[in-house]
Order: sequence, then structure tokens, then C-alpha cells
Amino acid sequence: MKKMLREAFYIGVFDALPVLRDPILLAFLGLISFIPVIFMFVLVPGGMATQALVGAVVLTLSFTGILASQSIYYNKYVMRYQDMLVASRVTPVSYAVGLSLGTLIISIPALVLSFGLLLALKMIGPVEFLLVLLSSLLMWMAMVFVGFAIGSSTKNVRRANSVPQILSFMLGFIPPVYYPLSALPASVQPFAMLIPTTHAAQLAKYYFGLVSMSQTEIVIGWVYLIGFAAAMAFLTLKKAHWVDP
Amino acid sequence: MDVVTTSGLGKTYAGGTEALLDVSLSVEKGQIFCVLGRNGAGKTTLLRILGTQLRASSGTATVLGHDVLKEPRAIRGRIAVVPQEARLQMVLSATDHINYTCLIRGMSRPDARKRTREVMEELGLWEHKDKLAVDLSGGLRQRVIIGMALVMDPELLFLDEPTIGLDPLGRRAVWNMVRKLAQKGATVILTTHYMDEAEALAGSLAIIDKGRCAFMGTADEAKAATHEGLQVIVEPIVSHDAADRKVLKPQSNEDILEIVQRSIKEGLKVTFKPPTLEEAFIHIVGGSIEEDAA
Repeated sequence: MKKMLREAFYIGVFDALPVLRDPILLAFLGLISFIPVIFMFVLVPGGMATQALVGAVVLTLSFTGILASQSIYYNKYVMRYQDMLVASRVTPVSYAVGLSLGTLIISIPALVLSFGLLLALKMIGPVEFLLVLLSSLLMWMAMVFVGFAIGSSTKNVRRANSVPQILSFMLGFIPPVYYPLSALPASVQPFAMLIPTTHAAQLAKYYFGLVSMSQTEIVIGWVYLIGFAAAMAFLTLKKAHWVDP
Repeated sequence: MDVVTTSGLGKTYAGGTEALLDVSLSVEKGQIFCVLGRNGAGKTTLLRILGTQLRASSGTATVLGHDVLKEPRAIRGRIAVVPQEARLQMVLSATDHINYTCLIRGMSRPDARKRTREVMEELGLWEHKDKLAVDLSGGLRQRVIIGMALVMDPELLFLDEPTIGLDPLGRRAVWNMVRKLAQKGATVILTTHYMDEAEALAGSLAIIDKGRCAFMGTADEAKAATHEGLQVIVEPIVSHDAADRKVLKPQSNEDILEIVQRSIKEGLKVTFKPPTLEEAFIHIVGGSIEEDAA
């Protein structure tokens, strides 16, 4: 276990190193999910900017999670490090955990900033804080699995780059993550609830005391997130290969 | 002792492409073994199966005494692979690549630093230790990738076209490194398109053609298989006309002596041309080239 965690840690750091060595790129990646927050702060009056900030926390992890697809693709087909690691004692679990960790490492500055701002605006208890973190991490995990499925099943470099961007846009900017669910017409709201980021954002907003939810809605939110992560894990197991078949 | 043996090895990809049909070969310990073949002949597929990165569809293969399908984990800690056209992270340094490979492979930080320096010095990379990969020449980049493979002192190293795109000096640097490795007792299996490379390095070689092992033996045995023998080229000392050039095929030492004596008398230049591996290669895979043309 210790050996596996060690391998995973260094695989993650090595994967994140090009970004960590470039603070400007690191800051830019962190700021992408903040752009809507700035617009909300300037254009929309009231507490909308706080809601958008909660959305930024959820999406920072989702964006970086799905970046795993590019790591997988480049390590397998461009750099060919996966082949080098397969022919070594490194295990597939260490490799997968390591590349996932790499995405988490590059999201740390943005996460610290967004949580810092949020807590400065609205203080919450430690349990609520942990639940916000957990819902975001579940979303991140699910997106890492999505990234693994995309990165390991596409051999087309254009798709490896474009599919994650499109998915990020569809999961982040279209559903009510930055803006409240109530801003959508009632007839559209059930469709928004089909998107997992809506559930993660709703739960995070709830724990920050920005929206009210019934116990049933809270349970549905968690079950949906866990179910989505499990389904994506299953998809990854089907699509991703350590040894090529 | 054989470190690699294959018997009837075959690989058919999911789309139906038959990359390997029937490859049987063996590689002795400490040998530099070259795998030659045209593009798409199945060289990389063969190397990837032996390197436990790809599953074979038929036949058997053992590496270091273990079956590649049944016991890949017993093999993996003892081998290293340099994949074809592997690339570096351009914004990281040569040291980063090798040091992190050491850390990922389980070395402590001080041991990783020590081993990184050893490997980089051995490969002539230490003076470039802080340069980013983007600032290194193609030859130096390739040496860094090979360095990543060498950190754990593998018993068996697979190199898939390690000198492709390198200049003559870069190629020779890689050759020297391969020779040093073999001198230390490691076995090296490499694929190449360069016949001079195979001649310079290979203790033994295999020619793969259309998924089958068309030849296995030494370079000299491959040349003998052409049945061409020595060619003697006789031509005027100064001539710009190819028609003045005669290519003779002496059948005995007496024939050679006679040609030389006659040429000296007539003031002609004599050049001896033994059969090359390239000619042997073309002779061996020639049938299939003609089939393709037809």
C-alpha cells in the first residue's frame, strides 16, 4: 500500500510538474472557473456572486478532473510513458491514482482561493465544509473516470483535446452551477437535474446556506452523485486498458 | 541460456489486422539482437508482446524464463522499454525526467539523485542536466529517454527504433551506450531500419516479413544466404562514365589474384565489395516486395 501510494504520488507530481513549474499557466487554469464569478459580481446584484463562487469550487475540481483525459492520452499515445511504466513494477492502480492526483494538485491553488473567498463571505461549520468538499470530490472523481474513458479510448488527438473542453462547457456553463436552479423555467428544471454538476452545486449551495432543500432532495443529490461516479468508474474499467488487448 | 524464446507467436488486432502470423525465435543472454523488417512487418508488435504491453493472440513467448501472458509481473521488474518515438515533456529538464523515473520506480530521494547523476554521466548528459527538453538536440533527447529506461539496470532492454531521426554522431552515441550495456551482461533487443546499425551492433538478428520470421542468424549468415559472394569492381582511376565500370564475381582466390594483377598492368582501380546486409535483406524479403508490386 505504501509503495503504491508513493508511486502514485510521484506519478502525479511528474504529470503536474509542467504546470507547477509555470505559475502563470497554473494561475490561468485556476482562474478559468472564476470568470463567470467575476461577471456575476459585476452584472448581477444581490448574493448571486456567492452562488457563483460555490459553482466555481465545484467546477474547479470537475475541470481539472476531466483534464485526466489529456494526461492519459498524451502519456499513452504521444509521450508513450504508459508503455514504459507497464514494463516496470508500477501497478495500473498506482498509475491511475497518480494521474488523478496530478489533476488534483494543479487545482489546489484555485481551490484554496475559492474556499478562502467563500469562507470570508459566509462562514460555515466544519461538518458543512467537509460535506461541500466531499460533494466536489465526488464530482471530481466522476470526471476523472470520464477523462480516463475518453483518454484511453480515443486515438484521435483532436478529439482528445476537444471532447473534454466541450464536456466541461456542457457540464459547467449550461446547467445551474453558477446561477441558481430557480432562475430556470420550472419546465426545464427536471432536465437540469439530470446533469450531475447541478446536484453537486445544489448540495454545495445548500451547505453554504444559499438555497433550501428537503431531506429527500439532499438524499437524491448524494445518491445521484455516487451513482454517477460509480457508473463512470464502470465505464473506465470497460474502456481503459493497462495491457493492450 | 536463452532469455527470450517465442514459438508460433501471432497477433491479430481487434479490427482484423494480422500483425504477426508465426514468429519463432530465441535470444541468448548478453546478446545484442536486432529485429529488422519493412514498415508494418510486425517488429513493434513483437517487441510490445515481449515487453508485456500487448497480448499475443496465438503461440507462446517466454521472457527471462517466464510466460509473458501468465507471469508478466515476474518479468516487468527486470526489463525496460524504450518505445518507438517516445517523447519528453518539453518544459521539463533532462534531470527531471530521469530523477522522477527513479522516484516512481521506488528509490529514496538521495538514491534517486545519486542514480540520476550516474546515469546522466554515463550517457554524457550531465553537462545538459538543467536544460529543458525543448533545448536539447534530437540525439540528446533520445539519450534522456534511454536514460529513463536504464535507471533500474534492466537485465533485458527493448529499444524500438532508438536511432530514428538521429544524425550520425547521435546514432553512434546510442550504439556505444548499447554496447556498454551488453558488456555489463544485459541483453538488448532492438528494432531498426538501418542495416549499418544492425551490422555494427547485432550479435544475432531476425528479419520479420509479413508477420513471419523470414530469417534468423548472424549478419554474416544473412549475407551468405544471398549467394552473391564477393564482388570486384574494376574501373579506370579517373572516369565519369559508369559504362567503364566492370563488376566481376570471382569464384576463387586465384580468380581474385588474376583480376588484381591484370588491373595493375592496365592501370585500373580495383575495389572489393563484399555483400552487404542491405543486399541480404532485400534478397530475403525480395519475394514479398515483388508480390506487393504485382
